[in-house]
Amino acid sequence: MSLAVYTKPVDGTIPVAALLYDDEDLLASQDGVGIYDGNQKSPPHQSGSIHITSHRLFFITSSSYPFRSQSSSASLDDSFSLDLASISQTEYYAGLFTSSAKITLHLTPQSALSPSGSAPAEAGAESNNWATWECEVCGYRNPPGLSPAKSAVCGLCGVPRSISSPSSSSSPSPAPIRNSKPSSLPTLSTASHLQTRAISTPPSPDTDAQPTSDFIECPACTFHNHPSLRVCEICSTALPPRVPQGAHAKSAPTSRAMTPAPGPPSLDADEPGMIKLSFRKGGDKNMYAVLKRSLLGKGWEVKEVIARKSGTSTPGTGSATPGVSGINQILQSIQTTSQARQTDLSSALSDLEALMNQTKKMVNLAKDLCIRWEAIEAKNAFNPYPTAATPTASSSNTTHDKESAKFIRNSLSQLGLQLPNAPVTQDMYDDERRWVEGLAVELAGVLQGSQGMNSVGGIMKRRGIVGLDEIWGGWNRARGVALIPPSTFLSVLPHLQVHTNPTLLTRSFPSGLTVLHTPPYTHKAFTARLVSLLTLSGEKTTLDIAREEEVNVGLAREMVEAVERDGEVVRDEDGGEGEGGVFGGGKEVRWWRNVFVEYAWDGQTF
Amino acid sequence: MTLASFTTPSGFLLPSIHSAPPFFTQQPNPNTQSIVTENWTRLILTYARYRRLFFIKLEDAETKGGDWDEVLRNERINRQLFPSHLSHILSQMVERNQAVYEPQKQTRSVLLYWRLPEEWAEVLHEWVTTTGQLNSILTFYEIIEPPIESVLSGIPMTLLRKAISILGRTGRAQIISVADGEGVRFFAGTGK
Repeated sequence: MSLAVYTKPVDGTIPVAALLYDDEDLLASQDGVGIYDGNQKSPPHQSGSIHITSHRLFFITSSSYPFRSQSSSASLDDSFSLDLASISQTEYYAGLFTSSAKITLHLTPQSALSPSGSAPAEAGAESNNWATWECEVCGYRNPPGLSPAKSAVCGLCGVPRSISSPSSSSSPSPAPIRNSKPSSLPTLSTASHLQTRAISTPPSPDTDAQPTSDFIECPACTFHNHPSLRVCEICSTALPPRVPQGAHAKSAPTSRAMTPAPGPPSLDADEPGMIKLSFRKGGDKNMYAVLKRSLLGKGWEVKEVIARKSGTSTPGTGSATPGVSGINQILQSIQTTSQARQTDLSSALSDLEALMNQTKKMVNLAKDLCIRWEAIEAKNAFNPYPTAATPTASSSNTTHDKESAKFIRNSLSQLGLQLPNAPVTQDMYDDERRWVEGLAVELAGVLQGSQGMNSVGGIMKRRGIVGLDEIWGGWNRARGVALIPPSTFLSVLPHLQVHTNPTLLTRSFPSGLTVLHTPPYTHKAFTARLVSLLTLSGEKTTLDIAREEEVNVGLAREMVEAVERDGEVVRDEDGGEGEGGVFGGGKEVRWWRNVFVEYAWDGQTF
Repeated sequence: MTLASFTTPSGFLLPSIHSAPPFFTQQPNPNTQSIVTENWTRLILTYARYRRLFFIKLEDAETKGGDWDEVLRNERINRQLFPSHLSHILSQMVERNQAVYEPQKQTRSVLLYWRLPEEWAEVLHEWVTTTGQLNSILTFYEIIEPPIESVLSGIPMTLLRKAISILGRTGRAQIISVADGEGVRFFAGTGK
């Protein structure tokens, strides 16, 4: 009974060209062909024409078939189509005497052809082949008439249809299009019920399928529901899924064969079926060649492969197989990226948090250490030779300890952990003016080193001029807690002069850079120094001057430009061949003593 | 840091300031720059007079090979006057009536007044007098390209017209239309 299982009825009154999918090509046709189902002649299919396309093989009965009147059930709709995909092997028999040439088509077992899982989706897609559907993503109305593989994705954006209709099996089309409709629903019918249906159903094209023996009884109200329903029509209770009774014969989407079975056909789906084409009017060689070519071309398979592949790329979506092209892919990649970013971010944040916890511990540890050293030192100072028993060892120990203590305290102070002078905070003073004074004293200590402790060097211990930003940062780092806002910092600066020994002065450059500097770095002193330097050793670049003055280059530039504004120095921009702007960006500027002021003309005169 | 004057191949004595690299840089300090401009002006006018050059263009600073290379470039210290700087100097010169933009309504080319038009007028009159051409009609061409080279040889037409019009104001010259263009008749000194 291969014929019933593998073929699909088609309307033979329609020209073959109209039966094709949009992406299907008609390759060859031949009339005068009869069909053998297995090794036996199939009575309704003894005279017709064969059409081979890129996807399918059509058999269209010719109306002049003499046996037609005999068999009442036979009509034009004995015509059928056979998916080339189900052909596993072909054989050619050239014919002998009265026996006409034949082509034998060995068919793939149904169970192998439709692996579980993909079968329902395919069947569902098939059922809607001849209906338009609207893509959920781009709103494109996909036209009907594409091959099953192709119609599974939106023609415009490539998003699989399964997204727009997630469970194809649960969406029975409201209007039964043709009688092929119910049959193609993925009812996992058994072989036996296939038989009953095939027998009981009058194979007329116009009658809808009325499966009489094939209801699902509602577990709640016992109503006999149509097999394709998922919920009870009366009480909306979920219906039990229809479990296949046999291990084989899993799905027979194309089982609505119109052929009345002459007897109970013993179909074993695992046994490969066979169909023979008998060429009674010749043309067999040509047809066989075309068939071979079409089989090799596998026009039906290409898209299916793609669809399957994409299905594996997103596991978990099950039968919903999104395509790998179009908007869908973009959306998917965006989602993946954002997900990855979020994971990264959260892990980074948790790392940071862990680090912070660790830092707290470290700081506490360091403080603890500092206090202990203080205590030990105090004890040692109080009693330099603690015991007479081990004088030498302990004394060497003490000096060693002292040195390491010093080192550790230095390190701690560099880290800004000077415990002895705890940061000055507002709550220590009742008066804001005094608080600012206190801050000034503290800042002076940070800048120039505490007067009492020579070991601790301040920020400006060796540098004459430092930017405010650096000082502010350094001060706050030294404080560690109760950080000083910039506004407070600026209000402290004027008080600094009183508490510093060389007096620290503030100076603002036209660029907005403000610095604290020692007296040797006043504008006047610097000008004098610069001019004498230039007079003695000729021109200098900004870099040279910065090195000479031990300040950074930006600062040196600011300082020299201030001198230039007084007209004490002049610039020489070695612009090369480029366009010379006044304040050329990357050009190296060489500074000269003002050679113009006292210049007297010594050139040509008339 | 000693700067020395330098004699160019054409025999012009460049001032020592021309060997100072900062001289070629436009100084942001206005006071300094005014000294620089002043020296440049003097240098340009002197050189122009030496070489009898009447025009200087920004192109002279932009490209090599012009009449002004000796002044606008100093290969010995690898410096050159940049067009922007030259443009600044020229605008100062125009402001001080040491040059005019020629042609007008642009700033890329100037006519240098190493003699002022008034001075040119005197030179012209003196030349006419000494060559005995008073009261006779001279075409402009005869003045610009006299058979015997004179101080006026090659003087630009615009400058010549200015000088003649100055003379005309004091009644020492009169422009007359002649067959092939314009001519000018000079009169004796303070006669009128």
